[in-house]
Amino acid sequence: MDLLQSLTGLLLVMFIWGHMFFESSILLGKDAMLWVTRMFEGEHIFGKPYPLLVSAVVAVIFVLIALHAILALRKFPANYRQYHSFHRHMGAMRHTDTTLWYVQVITGFAMFFLAGTHLFVVLVQPDNIGPYASSDRVWTGRFWILYALLLVSVHLHAGIGIYRLAMKWWPLKAETAPRVRERLKVAMWCVIGFFLILGSASLLTYMKIGYDHADRAGERYVPAAASAIETGK
Amino acid sequence: MQILYTDVLVIGGGLAGQRAAIGAKRRGHDVIVLSLVPAKRSHSAAAQGGMQASLGNCLGGTGDNEDVHFTDTVRGSDWGADQEVVRMFAHTAPKAIRELAAWGVPWNRVQRGDHQITVNGQKQTVTEPDNAHGLITSRNFGGTQKWRACYVSDGTGHAMLYTMSNQAIAAGIPVHERMEAIALIHDGERCCGAIVRNLMTGEILAYMAKATCIASGGFGRIYRVSTNAIINEGIGAAIALETGIASLGNMEAVQFHPTGIFPAGILVTEGCRGDGGLLLDGAEYRFMPDYEPEKTELASRDVVSRRMEEHIAAGHGAKTRFGDHLWLDIRLLGKEHINTKLREVKEICQYFLGVDPVNELIPVRPAQHYSMGGIRTNYRGESPQLKGLFSAGESACWDMHGFNRLGGNSVAETVVAGMIVGDSIADFCDSPDGALAISTSLVEEFGERERQRLAGIADSGGSENAFELMKLMQETMTANVGIFRDGERLQEAVSTLQDLQRRSRDIGLRSSAPGANPELVAAYRVQRMLKLAQCVAFGALQRTESRGAHFRADFPQRNDRDWMRRTLAIWPGEEADLPTLDYEELDIMRMEIPPGWRGYGAKDYIDHPDTPRRQQQLDEALQGMERADRHARQEALMPFRHLLPEHLRGNNQRLGED
Amino acid sequence: MSDIPVTQLGRTLHLQILRHNPRDPDSEPRLQTFEVEEADAMTLFIALSEIREKQDPSLQFDFVCRAGICGSCGMIINGRPGLACRTLTRDLPDHITLAPLPAFELIGDLSVDTGKWMRGMSEHLETWVHSQGLEQADIDSLEESMEPELAEQLYELERCIECGCCVAACGTAQMREDFSGAVGLNQITRFQLDPRDERSDADFYQLVGNDAGVFGCMTLLGCEDMCPKDLPLATQIAFLRRRMVAVR
Repeated sequence: MDLLQSLTGLLLVMFIWGHMFFESSILLGKDAMLWVTRMFEGEHIFGKPYPLLVSAVVAVIFVLIALHAILALRKFPANYRQYHSFHRHMGAMRHTDTTLWYVQVITGFAMFFLAGTHLFVVLVQPDNIGPYASSDRVWTGRFWILYALLLVSVHLHAGIGIYRLAMKWWPLKAETAPRVRERLKVAMWCVIGFFLILGSASLLTYMKIGYDHADRAGERYVPAAASAIETGK
Repeated sequence: MQILYTDVLVIGGGLAGQRAAIGAKRRGHDVIVLSLVPAKRSHSAAAQGGMQASLGNCLGGTGDNEDVHFTDTVRGSDWGADQEVVRMFAHTAPKAIRELAAWGVPWNRVQRGDHQITVNGQKQTVTEPDNAHGLITSRNFGGTQKWRACYVSDGTGHAMLYTMSNQAIAAGIPVHERMEAIALIHDGERCCGAIVRNLMTGEILAYMAKATCIASGGFGRIYRVSTNAIINEGIGAAIALETGIASLGNMEAVQFHPTGIFPAGILVTEGCRGDGGLLLDGAEYRFMPDYEPEKTELASRDVVSRRMEEHIAAGHGAKTRFGDHLWLDIRLLGKEHINTKLREVKEICQYFLGVDPVNELIPVRPAQHYSMGGIRTNYRGESPQLKGLFSAGESACWDMHGFNRLGGNSVAETVVAGMIVGDSIADFCDSPDGALAISTSLVEEFGERERQRLAGIADSGGSENAFELMKLMQETMTANVGIFRDGERLQEAVSTLQDLQRRSRDIGLRSSAPGANPELVAAYRVQRMLKLAQCVAFGALQRTESRGAHFRADFPQRNDRDWMRRTLAIWPGEEADLPTLDYEELDIMRMEIPPGWRGYGAKDYIDHPDTPRRQQQLDEALQGMERADRHARQEALMPFRHLLPEHLRGNNQRLGED
Repeated sequence: MSDIPVTQLGRTLHLQILRHNPRDPDSEPRLQTFEVEEADAMTLFIALSEIREKQDPSLQFDFVCRAGICGSCGMIINGRPGLACRTLTRDLPDHITLAPLPAFELIGDLSVDTGKWMRGMSEHLETWVHSQGLEQADIDSLEESMEPELAEQLYELERCIECGCCVAACGTAQMREDFSGAVGLNQITRFQLDPRDERSDADFYQLVGNDAGVFGCMTLLGCEDMCPKDLPLATQIAFLRRRMVAVR
């Protein structure tokens, strides 16, 4: 079960980091983002977008998250007494790794709602992803609040989680372990920082596009090339 | 009062107690172990450097055997030891090591090939042979001719105690932790258990047993500066003394270890010097070769400690606001060696002194370390006066150490005595003598007496402070009954202790907290400790000679003519303020090695007329035996194997020996 | 002159101690402050002994070896578990807060029953060499040989003094009473490594292959960071975790 929790965690982290890169394609322009979207909808393989593919992926992720969450719940404080003793313990110890776990508990709990909502939305409206569709959801749909919170939660959770995974499973030599651990921790903060910046930049971009597009909310983006042809008509 | 019944009651959860318990349990007897603290916290854990056993696997141990170990131990004891017991011990020690090896102790092993060692301040290279590779190795220790101290880095006692405790747990032996025996139950002839105080609840209960074995360690805490753990207050020995029947042997024989760190008195192992460390004075000059050209830093502990104090008295110490001290230099052993073989030493220096011994000197001065004396037993570990009472380890005067113990011989004694005494106890329980025929009303009577005593302290409203008296006793002992003794100071100590003892009857308590009540504990302990201290001081005053660790500046010679005898102290009654001393002759005519020079230390002593006669006898016994093997020759001099339990009589196999 | 540690002169230490005597029905847990004049090279052992001798003789605490060897004196020192006997007051601020180790049964004030916990752990995890015929072992013949390096590795893991600091430093142990703690898991790795112990990984799995054992560990690493003996607890637990996963 411990292994399963770690594996689901690892897959989710891999997914989320990939997700971040794809989603940040907006920074390269609306066309790039659309291209990525289409790729996931299978257009480049099937010649035609199938938004249901997205739903399928989302479903898998949902299952992974649910599994991960259920496994993780085993370790959560089961009652107030346990919660209280952990809290007192953490407060007294002022020990980073212990506190970080608590951060994971909080963020994990938060994500239960945040990621749940997010996933539900893409699950039922898989076709509603695209430069304008997403931006409108972010801005006009007021989803940016949710996304901002989710962004912080998910990256803290993922970064800390990956560090913990390494400490859990990586065969280290006792003599070198403390040094490796120190470096891993620095790397963890760097990764978290990187993704937060990347994510914030993307989110801001979506917000800006959404803001500009607010009056025409609901309208789909037409690729620049296509619109050029259209204009040329 | 709750009464618990068992076959065997062992008081003390250290190495000796637990090994005796395992031995009795294996023979089918129920055993309960009482311990002041969780058993794995016993003071046995503090033995650092090694356990003596003549395996002779490593190069420095080549040629070692029981005969050499025996000789070293007898010389170390300054001929105060019971030589039959020393033989039993030297013969069983290799078996003890091997048993522990099978049980899980990770003894350090011989590594084939070249090694750098440090001898006399110089680096040398030695080459260990292939056939010894992987066998148990050993290091050099003081007062020995061979490298004989088997070790686990410098946590030997810790590793042994954990293995022993784990095997005791495996055997299902219950350890009743935080239990203190405060009186032995007896009818004047037969011991049948103990009255015990629970140190968590303060409750009094009784344990009735066919055999009672005291293995409670030493009494170093009657001194102010001691390497002993703070639980080493000698209460086990004291309750035997308080029976008025059992005797304590050679209480004046107290060992001072050369290298207690200064000023805290925490021990750093003799292994430091065994591995090549040196003693330096205030001017960082190596002084030991001037005093002891033969063995230098590795003469026996009594000799080295005396030379150190002598050197300090001559004004050569390093001076500090706490007083003078000397230096221990292990820098020359190198970082690698210190980090692997002397790690506890390194930690102690780091935490208590803020010193890194790889680069810096360690401030040291001799500190009280070991009690050679204790509950007098015969070779089977039983009190000659009180039937059913046994003792093993430091609390006993089994008497293999005489007036000075060799480093590494105590931790060896604990296990060896545990093995032998465990069997004696089982034999006793199996014999008709083992049957208990004592009524519970006697037990109730003893319980009531102890309750009255405690209530007497708690309700006395007396004006004396237990902690204060404890401090005064410790000061007196360290100042007047230390390394250098003389009649005047000993007399002063005896009077001071008499006075303190009188005052101790008027101890009052400031706290009446339910439960253990640490102040009450201090009160009833100091009353008992004062009796032990008096046995030490009074015994030392009466012994007008110098032998081993007992050094009288006014009688500096060893006097075999008048003092080939063991002091026996008996406490005549609650009102007494001095022990009754009796003496037990050490019969030279039964010795395998009659008294002579130790090979280090003072060379002048007063001979006993028996010595040459016995020597002649021995020479005659060996005539015509030139071709016999060493076992047969030894047998001709002083047979001992019949004294051992049968399963311990076999020869010990060695490399290069059949 | 000597380099024995000397403190700032004339400092008064304020020791705030969590007092509670469960034997006394009137006793409520409370913090009590004692003032002690700091002395040279003063350790918490010395400071506490002085308080008991001069100020409050009812104060309960445990010391045995007072040299950092026996593991009796674990307590919470300014929030973190440590060995009081080798904690020098000069390394601490003027205000020192002391509390008993959590997760163990309280005997009184700073004294807790680590012995009972550790014995329970030992019995539960069977922390001894399991070998057929130990009682009939031939102790007259040469001992079994062992690689010197292996012996040293075993000692490395055996240096544990069962002080309880790792349990007190463990978030998991705070929440789950049945958790074996780093002390137990480390000992299992010690016997797993020992060729004299005949148990297989499958046997060890029976002992620690669950949430009270190695899979309960959440890798908070408090154990490793607070271990007074600097044992490589995290690597040992990671090792055990991999072995136990492999068993299934």
